[in-house]
Amino acid sequence: MLRLLKYLINRGIVTNKAVPELLDDNITGFPKATDVPCVSECQACTESCPTGAIEITREKSIAIDRGACITCKECIRVCPSGTLINDTSVASFAFTREDLFRPAPAKAETGPDRSIFSKSLAVRVVSTGCSACDLELAAASNPIFDMERFGIHVVASPRFADALVVTGPVPKSMHEPLLSCYEAMSDPKLVIALGTCAISGGVHKNGYTEANGVGPLLPVDIFIPGCPPHPWQIIKGILAARRLNGRIRKEDQG
Amino acid sequence: MKLNLKQLSSEERTARLKAALDAGDRLGLITSIDGDQLIMLLLSPGKRSIDCYETPVAGGTYKSATAMVPQAHWFERTTWDMFGLVPEGHPRLKRTHLHEPYTLTSPPLSHERRKAIEKTIQPESGDRRHAGDRSYHFLGVEGQGVYEIPVGPIHAGIIEPGHFRFSCYGEIILNLEIRLGYVHRGIEKRLSEVPWQRGRFVAEAAASDMPVANSLAHATAVEYLLQIEVPRLALYLRSIALEIERIAMHLSDLGGLAGDIGFLAIASSMGRLRGVALRMGELLSGNRLMRGFICPGGVVSASMRVAEEIAQLARQLKQELKPVVAFYMDNQVAVDRMEGVGVVRSSLAREFGLVGVAARASGDRYDCRNYWNHGAYPNVDLEPANETSGDVFARAKVRISEIETSLKLLINFLDDLKEGSFLVSLPDRLEANSSSVAIVESHRGELIHFIHTDARGEIQRYCIKDASVNNWTALAIAVRNNVVADFPLCNKSFSLSYSGHDL
Repeated sequence: MLRLLKYLINRGIVTNKAVPELLDDNITGFPKATDVPCVSECQACTESCPTGAIEITREKSIAIDRGACITCKECIRVCPSGTLINDTSVASFAFTREDLFRPAPAKAETGPDRSIFSKSLAVRVVSTGCSACDLELAAASNPIFDMERFGIHVVASPRFADALVVTGPVPKSMHEPLLSCYEAMSDPKLVIALGTCAISGGVHKNGYTEANGVGPLLPVDIFIPGCPPHPWQIIKGILAARRLNGRIRKEDQG
Repeated sequence: MKLNLKQLSSEERTARLKAALDAGDRLGLITSIDGDQLIMLLLSPGKRSIDCYETPVAGGTYKSATAMVPQAHWFERTTWDMFGLVPEGHPRLKRTHLHEPYTLTSPPLSHERRKAIEKTIQPESGDRRHAGDRSYHFLGVEGQGVYEIPVGPIHAGIIEPGHFRFSCYGEIILNLEIRLGYVHRGIEKRLSEVPWQRGRFVAEAAASDMPVANSLAHATAVEYLLQIEVPRLALYLRSIALEIERIAMHLSDLGGLAGDIGFLAIASSMGRLRGVALRMGELLSGNRLMRGFICPGGVVSASMRVAEEIAQLARQLKQELKPVVAFYMDNQVAVDRMEGVGVVRSSLAREFGLVGVAARASGDRYDCRNYWNHGAYPNVDLEPANETSGDVFARAKVRISEIETSLKLLINFLDDLKEGSFLVSLPDRLEANSSSVAIVESHRGELIHFIHTDARGEIQRYCIKDASVNNWTALAIAVRNNVVADFPLCNKSFSLSYSGHDL
């Protein structure tokens, strides 16, 4: 036992100090449109996108839906003019579905940081998909990222939870379990859609299993896009809950 | 490889299957293309050959093989659920994928003609063949003092969903029934709907703790139908990615196992070491899980510059792993906790056709990397891990030995990289009216992708058989007569995929 302690102490601290603003350059993030003009009539990016996340609007600007993007980088690869670039912003989350159509802010806004949850958030995770987001969420708790030091705990029952984190596109067999989990949480509560599938259904949407994400079932407070999001993006997104006060069911109000 | 469909009459089917298994061959999968036939893949690893049999099914029913060949049971249940083909005489015919909430009136993968037949069977008639009857009954265990523990589908930690129904007597588990299908997203159907060029994004999402294995199987199966040769550099990079994935996931599973014992120093050390493995993947592909790296025709990017850096990390990992493994495996308390728990005897492993770590911990030496063409295999010298005791400890030792083998392979592959092209251009169409299969050794074991194309060269049927399909039954058997508190340990030692099974 002492030898083990000695070994662990000699390893030193592996935890990264603070949440960075940008991921490493070589990591694939979301595509971002720059001011470089497109080649005229070029539709290469929209044609290459497997989930229809890119649209060229009538005003000839490029609209990218990060909530549908699976970060496959195909659009950046086929773009002949270099208009699309790789965006490695960590603050890729959004509070509304519409905000996911805007590029992620280069620097996260620092809000009032004083909500009813203060600096501690107990999250309940319901996984309904391929488990990539689950792996990255689990990695966010490992010694390298260590999200518990920021006050985020994963709890084993909805009764203890402030926020419900949903990963995956929620296929039909999971509708009922997910709703009953939400129902079992006490007010005020938040719903966090983690990953592209949970936000829009991703590659699974509009199939016979009705796997179209959390949106059709529950009100979502924080959207964390990515396929899967990087652990830093997950931590940053969940920390944004500090700016929200949570929902209270209507019948309990007043 | 490309397959020739051989015709087999329904009378001969079970006998042929039984004879093949007795001769040491393996059952790859049983499925259908559109509900008019049964497809059966028999693998002969020794001869490196695959036989694909097609049996016409008249009237939507056929004679079940399960009573003779127990490992057919899950395939037959799935084929009933997805195609409406009823295996007559199946001892426990239950739905696997489509639960009560589904209001489908016809099976999702059968063709229109069969769907019309389904519609003529009235749900009120009590005919269980009707797609509308989605009732599910757990096996009841009766007797004084016997009680049930239902667990799931949502679990306590960050785990995929599935339902476990334990029948217990005191602390002892008498029976465990596992109900899966909660994350059935319709991947196979989607793969026959999207253009094949985009199929890889869907295939990868089948089970994302093994995106490399799935995209490699997808690419390999598609390449047989395109009749193209993949450049050597791409084959090597694919194998490098697959070994990195195996190392990362085995480390993660060993850490989970240590965590379930309560040995947190090892759990967090494994988490740290997995970080090194993920870093290798990130350098190789720009993504920690290496998603989007492998595509039909090769790989999407290749940089010789990072090869040395990855090799450096692999050597570092090899060094750092030694003391952690020693602390783990020399700890008598930890070993005591794992020894003799969740035993799968080798005869059962063979009978139920186990694959991967579970098989190699029970005396089977089957490792797809030695037999089937994918990545740079089978042209490497590889000694499969082999343990015989079939318990949690054996499965942990197999994982450790496989990490060591993978690190050695990884360093060899990296040393052997030669500059060259890494992607070839692809023809527009897949070969029409053809079938192909790719078999990949994922970190869980044998992963099979089967493709059948129609007369226009479109994908008519895409079938994925994850290693978990074979191994979930083994978990249910392994926990019998163990105590309830050992279930998490047994479960982790198999480390099975819910999404890979459910697709």
